[in-house]
Amino acid sequence: MNYEFTEILETIRMTEIEHFDIRTVTLGISLRDCHDRNLEITKEKIYDKILRYGKNHVKNAKEIEAQYGISIANKRVSVTPISIPFDSLSMEEYIEIAKTLDKAAEDIGIDYIAGFSALVQKGMTRGEEELIKAIPFALSQTKRVCSSVNIGSTKAGINMDAINLMSEVIKKTAELTKDKDSIGCAKLVVFANAVEDNPFVAGAFHGVSEPEVVLNVGISGPGVVLDAIREAGKVDLQNLSEVIKKTIFKITRAGELIGRKVAEKNGVPFGIVDISLAPTPAEGDSIADILKAMGVEDVGAPGTTAALAMLNDSVKKAGLMASSSVGGMSGAFIPVSEDMGMIRAVQAGNLSLEKLEAMTAVCSVGLDMIAIPGDTPASTIAGIIADEAAIGIINDKTTAVRIIPAYGKKVGEMVDYGGLLGLAPVMEVRTISSQNFVSRGGRIPAPMRSLTN
Amino acid sequence: MKLSENEIRKITYETIEELGTNVSQEVIKEAVRKKIESMDNFTFAKNNESSGRVILTSFGLNKPGIVAAITTALGNFNCDIQDLSQRIIGDFFTIIMIIDISTSQKDLKEIQDEMRKTAEELNIKIYLQHEDVFRFMHRI
Repeated sequence: MNYEFTEILETIRMTEIEHFDIRTVTLGISLRDCHDRNLEITKEKIYDKILRYGKNHVKNAKEIEAQYGISIANKRVSVTPISIPFDSLSMEEYIEIAKTLDKAAEDIGIDYIAGFSALVQKGMTRGEEELIKAIPFALSQTKRVCSSVNIGSTKAGINMDAINLMSEVIKKTAELTKDKDSIGCAKLVVFANAVEDNPFVAGAFHGVSEPEVVLNVGISGPGVVLDAIREAGKVDLQNLSEVIKKTIFKITRAGELIGRKVAEKNGVPFGIVDISLAPTPAEGDSIADILKAMGVEDVGAPGTTAALAMLNDSVKKAGLMASSSVGGMSGAFIPVSEDMGMIRAVQAGNLSLEKLEAMTAVCSVGLDMIAIPGDTPASTIAGIIADEAAIGIINDKTTAVRIIPAYGKKVGEMVDYGGLLGLAPVMEVRTISSQNFVSRGGRIPAPMRSLTN
Repeated sequence: MKLSENEIRKITYETIEELGTNVSQEVIKEAVRKKIESMDNFTFAKNNESSGRVILTSFGLNKPGIVAAITTALGNFNCDIQDLSQRIIGDFFTIIMIIDISTSQKDLKEIQDEMRKTAEELNIKIYLQHEDVFRFMHRI
């Protein structure tokens, strides 16, 4: 036989027992040619284009799923940051565009469409300001649209004016979606060093340097890594890193295969594989459990950051060897609400916001899906975003803040979204003020790292 | 590997140029054939084309008639079993088969649906997956 008995069983075990799945196949579509001076025609062009490329996206992905026996959890679409092709629109018109995106997403049968976005790390155009103001209304009046705003980069520094605006936007979004535990905020990401080919919604968008249309894949498999680490038993850290790399190598290879096949079936070019360990609320599909299996008693214990750093780095190394098109975030995500282990650590009082922040310096993204009290002042949220952005630009990595000031809720209460978004305990935020710092406004200059030329 | 007529013509011209005009047609023919063959070997080494083979994995509580039921179903679809391996551990069995479905009139999806019924009848698990996924994961 060409394959060893154990090899075949290993694959079956990964897909059937350990929740290894392709987390998302995301079709990136450029909308740069969709602008028209008549808003109705603009909307029509957007709708038609998304349908033209995306109408068989779900069907094709399902066929590939069956053929290879690997489940594809999500089929999604990302578009050009909306503020770029449609810079001349007003706030009301942007809301109309969001509704068009929502309708198109519904009609091609996907759950999320991402790219209601603006890139304002250095400054805002008039249109970008209008789009940002439209975000709370766009997110509360649509179901499927996701939004992201990039407020800092290693090359440009941190745009504090944009952060202040965004913290108000986050508060407003929470208020407008208070009936559903402020779910709007779960669809809104504030980035520093955002990447252009990230397939993971909510932060996905189809970057300006991307082709007309492209298919990116996000793969995931915390359960697989968890079992491999458990099986390895008590080995030293170098050997543990080997174990992680071998596992990731295999799932990345499978991810690339699936991505290429879905792209081929859609008749579009294949972009990148994002090898991110993204947890889900399912039992065993958890980054926290991996960290615990590595040896810390609970997430938040001293040593957690080091363990996460090693995990993140091993994931990247294995991915690089397995695929020549690694991109996106590629590392370990540490959202709170989507990971039962993280939720338990917060509830047990072992994991604080500050420790999470430290962990984001070495994970692949940032403060993700964290619920905080609804009465947290906007200036404090601005401070949290600025801290996170600083970690990003100084370390030349992507960081993000997806934070939910749960309207009307206090520390210890829960927000519950069900499904992949999961549920989150409202975490304690320090009440000392950031007001006088953030209200200075302006821009934190680009760091030393930016001067590489 | 398939070569277009133009490509074959080009190879022939190159061969004639290399050998000169003094050789017979047979010699040229032979040289061209060898060249194409060597190209075939070259592409075979790099070959990344997917095959028509799928891997069937089945496991569950052991009882009489399982292999018979699976192979009968596959036989009905005209699937060619190229390899078969089985292990029994305690009360449980595991069967792995490599099957060529390119001879079948049905596609993978239809065969999967049919095998699902067989699996339900016998109360066992049967998975059919394209061979490529194993090749990608376990072979560099």
